[in-house]
Amino acid sequence: MPDAYLTAAGAFMPGPPVANDGIASRIGAIDDRSETFGRLALRQNRITTRHYALEDDGTVLRSNAEMAALAVADAVGKSERTLADIDLLGAATTQGDLLVPGHASAVQAALGIGPVELASVQSVCAGSLIAAKAATLQVMADGKQAAAVAGSEFSSRWFRPAFYARAPLQDPQFRTSLEFLRWTLSDGAGAIVIEPRPNERRQSFRIEWIKLVSLAHMFDPCMAAGAPPERRTDRAGGWSHDPRNALADGALVLWQDMHLLKRIIRAWVGEYLKLIDQGAVDPAQVDWLLCHYSAESLREEIVSILKTTGGMIDAEKWFTNLHTKGNTGAAALFIMLDEFIARGVARPGDRVLCIVPESGRAMIGFMMLTAM
Amino acid sequence: MAETDTLAAADTIGSDAFVQQTMRGLAIVWTDFEARLDRVPIIDKLNRGALRLDDYKALLINLRQQVVDGGCWIARAASNIDVAHFGLRSLFMRHSTTEHRDFRMLEENYAAVGGELATIRDGEKNIGSEALSAWMFHRASQPNPFDLLGAMFIIEGLGALKAADWAEAIRQQLELSADQVSFLAYHGANDDDHLAEFQEWVAEAADHPNARRIVKTARVTARLYLLQLEELDHV
Repeated sequence: MPDAYLTAAGAFMPGPPVANDGIASRIGAIDDRSETFGRLALRQNRITTRHYALEDDGTVLRSNAEMAALAVADAVGKSERTLADIDLLGAATTQGDLLVPGHASAVQAALGIGPVELASVQSVCAGSLIAAKAATLQVMADGKQAAAVAGSEFSSRWFRPAFYARAPLQDPQFRTSLEFLRWTLSDGAGAIVIEPRPNERRQSFRIEWIKLVSLAHMFDPCMAAGAPPERRTDRAGGWSHDPRNALADGALVLWQDMHLLKRIIRAWVGEYLKLIDQGAVDPAQVDWLLCHYSAESLREEIVSILKTTGGMIDAEKWFTNLHTKGNTGAAALFIMLDEFIARGVARPGDRVLCIVPESGRAMIGFMMLTAM
Repeated sequence: MAETDTLAAADTIGSDAFVQQTMRGLAIVWTDFEARLDRVPIIDKLNRGALRLDDYKALLINLRQQVVDGGCWIARAASNIDVAHFGLRSLFMRHSTTEHRDFRMLEENYAAVGGELATIRDGEKNIGSEALSAWMFHRASQPNPFDLLGAMFIIEGLGALKAADWAEAIRQQLELSADQVSFLAYHGANDDDHLAEFQEWVAEAADHPNARRIVKTARVTARLYLLQLEELDHV
């Protein structure tokens, strides 16, 4: 069976970078307290610029699928392949442009390539690694020669004030969580190319393994949209049972349960520590850590546990572009990889650990790469 | 099971690596325990904002019957620690002193929410508490029972990471005052720095073979603690 190599990464960021003082005019204000909550969120996430596929006047620059397609084109352009060589297209996003059919179909159409096999993944941040694992296994076991995988998000659509009309905004904790997401998540797409052989003239990374684990059997939805928190597990609690009123009732609001998140963060750390116990990860042998996290403040929460358990990876090995590219969910890892590869800092033999936690319902994904 | 099998002795991997390995094992046991706590009916009710006053009273009665033994098993453990480990003996003795009055706070909370003192004092251990208490005394009766650091890790962890949140949630849901939830609130406020402290204690025990059982004892204690909460009022 051949190995699988990550041979290129690419990205597409819509519009110009938007600084902190430009956010309000893009996503609007729910009411006059929005900016106060926004300043708090920005202090926690420490993001300085991000991109939006919406302009101030509501003009849509790109659809979710178009952003994904442009990221794939960028990645393939940096590989030793052409778009015509792509024989598997994976696409992960939290919410496609249409409810039906799958997002990858729209990405394929936007790229204008085919016939081709698809892998559509609907999850949250870790969808990027679910799709990457599908592509890796197809390259190793099904003879695929050039797989492209996109992760993309068009989060700002959901942050416009109309979505919050009747949400319970008086509850300070709920409100804080809503605004945290509004002022933290933004738009963009990233992509990678996976092949059964390394590049001849450019750097490649051998994919050692990809491991994902979901703890949904132990936790309720933690970041969700489609039902308010109190109806998150009701059989008929979802928006689709009463679509006429769903928007007005605030059922389409993206929310996060901050109490539950704290418990899930510790569970993620537990999964990481298990990898160390199993010998899959040796923190001392990791040269680069590309860890997706939603906010600088959340990173700090886990450092003390990692230090006492021998799980810490030194701060100078951490690579992130969260602060300039924003938190782009399923796109974030690939956007990070694009910049990481472009910097050319990885030397042959370097071990690169990628970690993508997904708070949606307690999932976490890990990918280990070796630089060629 | 896995951790005990793979846990190397301190003299083969070095004391620092042993301490890290143990702390890692404890963190993994903790995260599994914490996730499973959310599936225990009374905690699930609390998380969903559906707790009733009777649930809280039942929790106080059930906890009290085991907490009343808390200082005693630690004291028994202390009496079984030899002089070569004087520092740990002191630690266990100190710990025993702080724990052995805790049940009174549970009784006061129970009375403060309208319960009869006689009811909580005459209560019986539920079947989970029986198992938990018997387990603690069994381990505490062994010579140099340093594996009980694992049991302390679980119980202190409940104080450091869960008690304050639970106290606040109970206070809000049942519209109680601070003095009615003081047992949980007190433990939340007092067990702050437990990770760093534990690291030192594990290091002190590292040269003894029983230190290799710390993670396993934590796992058993965690399971039995869940059992105690699952079996509320089943006496």
